[in-house]
Amino acid sequence: MNPLIEVHGISKSFDGTAVLSGVSLSIAPGEAVGLFGANGSGKTTLVNILSGLIAPDAGTVAFEGRDITRLPIDARYRLGISRTFQIPRPYPVLTVRDAVRVALPAPADEPAVETLLARVGLSGQRNFPCARLSQGCLRRLDFALALACRPKLMVLDEVFSALSMTDEEELAALLRAANLEDRAAFLLVSHNPPLLKSLCSRILRLEGGRIAGERAV
Amino acid sequence: MVRNNAFRETTYALAASAGALLLLPLAVRDPFLLDVLTTGFLLSAFAGSWDIVGGMAGQLSLCHALFFGAATYACACLSTLFHWPILLAGAAGVLLAGLAGAAVGALAAPLRGPFVAVLTLALGEAAHELVLGNVFLAGPGGYAWGGEGGIPVTVPWTAVSPAAAYYAALAFLAASVGTMLLVRRSRQGLMLRALEGSELTARASGVDVAMHKRRAFTIAAAIAGAVGAAYVVHVGRATANDFSLELSFQAATFAAVGGRGSVLGPVFAAFLLHLLFQGFDVPPGTRILFYALALMLILRFFPGGIAGGVRRLRERRAGRAEPR
Repeated sequence: MNPLIEVHGISKSFDGTAVLSGVSLSIAPGEAVGLFGANGSGKTTLVNILSGLIAPDAGTVAFEGRDITRLPIDARYRLGISRTFQIPRPYPVLTVRDAVRVALPAPADEPAVETLLARVGLSGQRNFPCARLSQGCLRRLDFALALACRPKLMVLDEVFSALSMTDEEELAALLRAANLEDRAAFLLVSHNPPLLKSLCSRILRLEGGRIAGERAV
Repeated sequence: MVRNNAFRETTYALAASAGALLLLPLAVRDPFLLDVLTTGFLLSAFAGSWDIVGGMAGQLSLCHALFFGAATYACACLSTLFHWPILLAGAAGVLLAGLAGAAVGALAAPLRGPFVAVLTLALGEAAHELVLGNVFLAGPGGYAWGGEGGIPVTVPWTAVSPAAAYYAALAFLAASVGTMLLVRRSRQGLMLRALEGSELTARASGVDVAMHKRRAFTIAAAIAGAVGAAYVVHVGRATANDFSLELSFQAATFAAVGGRGSVLGPVFAAFLLHLLFQGFDVPPGTRILFYALALMLILRFFPGGIAGGVRRLRERRAGRAEPR
């Protein structure tokens, strides 16, 4: 099967310090991949490069056979690569409903907004300003924004951190549904190996800016 | 429920204000007072137009007077030197202001926060110095046009009654506020409010931030240009003051006092403060001091401005009304 996304020889340095050195990986359509590594191993930098938030110093990123190394994050979102943030940054004054409308492709009709809100369990908070959401609801909203583009690939940076057990289980169920029903592939970054094992078919280990290991689950 | 009540209350307040303003010239005959009110309507529309780029889109633009001045000068030059009909000259002024907005927007699009303020400050001041320092036109009878004295505008009428000017400016304000509220409610307005809230989240949600910033500047500049065209017709002359930093600061301060991003707040605040300044005959130097102080105090203690205060009051009232 042709890879959905193929990363080849990615390197990135900040102020002369190498954070990623020659990272290569590929993810197949619909595949669930986990990414594990210690703090400072380069996980978030890799997520930022995959989502287009920053460009690598060297190496290439290809999506469905097309070179997207220099494509910015908004254009990648429209291609079907979405992401969540380790610390969600909600719009302070927009309501939850409006935040979802921003992410849905135009024209975003009301049923599409309501369907997405119901799917992530935020229908009751539709008119809340995003800034007043609890941590669990913020994660759901971040996930809703990632789902709004009907993603082919989701890059999820520590999406389960600082969540209650219930919120974690519900978010895991949402992720499974997106993967199994919508055939959305994902790269899930987490410090929680049992969680990665329960959700992913393959786990990569990042160490010192390099892929140090890989194992199938 | 709070939103529905807010909408109803705002509609009632607008209808009552419009009714009072429509009837006012029947009771007030003083030409000076009517002229102050007429100018107040135009300044209010100007502050509202700044709110599109500075409030809704969150781009701290300090060259809003550039768009206003571009339209006043275009209108004056085209009507007086090239004898264009005033309506056509006004339309050209709006177009020029819109183009200037698109150009400034293109320069500002890759920048953020204070860098937008610095860039626009520099552009605004450059334009101001350009018109201030150049007596670039020679009019009939040996008059030198340009420089501080500016350029007269040519209109087909000889005199307009203060009441007629008042009603024309009020109609203009109603039309421009209507347009700005439509922009705010549109998908374009939603995108602007999104990038004001979190540019990063907007980008990660597929929003082309640079394009929407350019659009914000273009729309705001075109409306500021329309205000400029209306203003120059009212006062009869385009002057270098039309490009002044004070005018840009004025718009930003009025918007901050009224509540950035709400459109109606800045419009209301601009009208009220203009009346206060005129009523107390506050000299320009003191006004600048007031703008600086007001900006600091508002941003520190009342970041939502008047509109934010009204919203909080409504929420508190609705909270008290909730059954326990």
